[in-house]
Amino acid sequence: MTRQMKLGAFLWATGHHIAAWRHPKAHVRAGIDIDHYIQLARTAEAAKFDMIFCEDAAGLREANVGIASQTSRSIGFEPISLLSAIAVQTSRIGLVSTASTSYNEPYGLARTFLSLDHLSGGRAGWNLVTSASPIEAANFGATGLKPHADRYERAREFAEVVTGLWHGESFHGHDGQSFSVQDAIDLPRSPQGAPVMVQAGASDVGRELAARTADVVFTAAQTFEEAKTFYDDLKGRTATYGRQPDDIKIMPGVAPVVAETESEAREKFEELQALIPDDVGVALLSSYLSISDLWRHPIDGPLPDLPESEGMKSRQALVVEQSRRDGLSIRQLARHFAGARGHWRIVGTAAQVADELQARFEGGAADGFNVMPSYFPGELDAFATLVVPELQRRGLFRREYEGNTLRDHLGLKRPA
Amino acid sequence: MLFAVSLNIASAQGQAGTTPAGITALVRKAEAAHIDMVVISDSAAGSEPSTSPFEATTLVAALATVTEKIGLVARASTIAHQPYNLARRFASLDMISHGRAGWNATLAQAAREAANFSRPDGFSADDFRRRSQEYLGIVLGLWQGWDADALLFDKSGGRFHDPEKMHLLDHKGEFFSVRGPLNVARSPQDRPVLVLAGLSEGDLDIAARNADVILLDERQAAENKARHGDIKRRVSACGREPGAVKVLTDVSLTAASLGGLADRLEEAFRSKGCDGFNIRLPAQLSVFDDFADRILPDLRRRGLFQEHYRGTTLRSHLGLTGGGNQ
Repeated sequence: MTRQMKLGAFLWATGHHIAAWRHPKAHVRAGIDIDHYIQLARTAEAAKFDMIFCEDAAGLREANVGIASQTSRSIGFEPISLLSAIAVQTSRIGLVSTASTSYNEPYGLARTFLSLDHLSGGRAGWNLVTSASPIEAANFGATGLKPHADRYERAREFAEVVTGLWHGESFHGHDGQSFSVQDAIDLPRSPQGAPVMVQAGASDVGRELAARTADVVFTAAQTFEEAKTFYDDLKGRTATYGRQPDDIKIMPGVAPVVAETESEAREKFEELQALIPDDVGVALLSSYLSISDLWRHPIDGPLPDLPESEGMKSRQALVVEQSRRDGLSIRQLARHFAGARGHWRIVGTAAQVADELQARFEGGAADGFNVMPSYFPGELDAFATLVVPELQRRGLFRREYEGNTLRDHLGLKRPA
Repeated sequence: MLFAVSLNIASAQGQAGTTPAGITALVRKAEAAHIDMVVISDSAAGSEPSTSPFEATTLVAALATVTEKIGLVARASTIAHQPYNLARRFASLDMISHGRAGWNATLAQAAREAANFSRPDGFSADDFRRRSQEYLGIVLGLWQGWDADALLFDKSGGRFHDPEKMHLLDHKGEFFSVRGPLNVARSPQDRPVLVLAGLSEGDLDIAARNADVILLDERQAAENKARHGDIKRRVSACGREPGAVKVLTDVSLTAASLGGLADRLEEAFRSKGCDGFNIRLPAQLSVFDDFADRILPDLRRRGLFQEHYRGTTLRSHLGLTGGGNQ
């Protein structure tokens, strides 16, 4: 069979567009309505998505309460409980949640994801992240952020313990730098061998960790060249760890706005952009750049020079590169990033969206895509009813699930 | 009288403990019998493997979607979770269940947990007690970080929530510092129900100050009565209404213990030995069917047990008011 692309449905609050909640058709109570999430999961399952994916942070997204109160992102479900509820209301779709190695312990996390895996019959995945946000740090008694390298060293040890626990019999305790674990896990082995390991860090040390341990990698790439460079680099690193390039599925984020005609799609996008308040856009950009005083600079002027940050290194570089390349002002950049959070945006018809996805997929820049609908439920519905059938017609996406587990869907080996 | 049913899935025998369908059938049976809540724990004694593939909080999330009325309480350890993460998990369970969730915390330290959570030496008894007290205060505080009317959903005005109605915790203590607020909205039942167990004498004041429900092990009738009175006095001394804390006494269920059980429960309840009972399910789960089909109807005929749930939330089932300022 010809190679087909993998698709994730990235579910997030009222939508990925920062102003999504204000859209007349967005479900504004998403963050307190479990039935809404169950419905989204069923929509994605009916469209044969490989997985739904939930982001996570152990704290508010925005420290400035005035700004935060103009977004829908300060409240929502905790993702592991959310996916456990969805697990018994769906039957095939993969269920992937983010959880941080900074504020959890490996034994508890391994056990919780294994339970989700059993509840779902082998459909669970863990997206490993390290926490860079000072807002999160303040909820865990930390006085300051740990330097980037330390966070990743802890993450590497964390991942090693979790995979050891998931692999069962071979685990004989762990006594390391950050963690000590005495017993093997007391639950039975995963129905899919082990839950799927997902990662998103794109810095050099993040890539090494992914090459060593990840089954799936989410990434942000604006251009084909960026995506291709990342893809080749990461696949090239797998050999060091005795793995094949195909053992890792690379799935860049894509933020599509799709409609029957191109002009309708443009209108839809402009309608959303017009709902972004300037102070919200600038605040979001500031937090991505890990700087606090962006608002001091003229909003119609260029991005100032930035100091090296301890936060999101790779993402910061991406933003700076784009602003210099396109000569964007702070306001333009803020709106641009507020809309897609630095991910790749496509506005157009189903055929145009499919063309773009096909080019990156067949050009060797992606194994699939993590789809980030701008608002819910409308834009997930639009992707499912317009783009998915187009991809299926082209033979680029499945018409039926190949198996029952997330590893089956992704074509991943079952771990020994 | 109030009824809880406790199930340790790690040591249950038979299919009911091992498949979602089996556990669902058991909990639905309890719901049909108008049991106020099920309390699910998931750790076997010693290093025995669990008889169930599930962890309690994830299982409760799943059960919330296949039940409608019954309260769902999960055991979770203060060693296994950071307070912010635990408060979030349960706030989210409460949202998923539309106000039926509770947290069963134990004030007893499990050595095995410490050894698996990077605390090989555990805590001294005194440290663990002070830590538990601080931990409970943080969780209860985080659950009240958002006022009930904080969310505005004002699309045209661009105001999602009212910033004045979101409160930082700003806790700085001996063991934890937690700024807050929680990133989960206010509970549909004001806050999840706090069920405390594993109490020793020195924990009673902590329990009296914080608990909604206290689970006590089974003793002789006179001793049950004395403990119940003692707890209610401590509750009053904290400035709380005595009825704000419900005391449930354990009842171990075996096929042999069913005979005369209704009489014994009536006697214990009428003599003010407790506010209700915590039915500890035996390893053989089928005994619960007999309890639900024979004992509960008998108690109902005597006017001692509810014909219907009083409301839709766990707090309403238990006759508890909200947990604090809204």
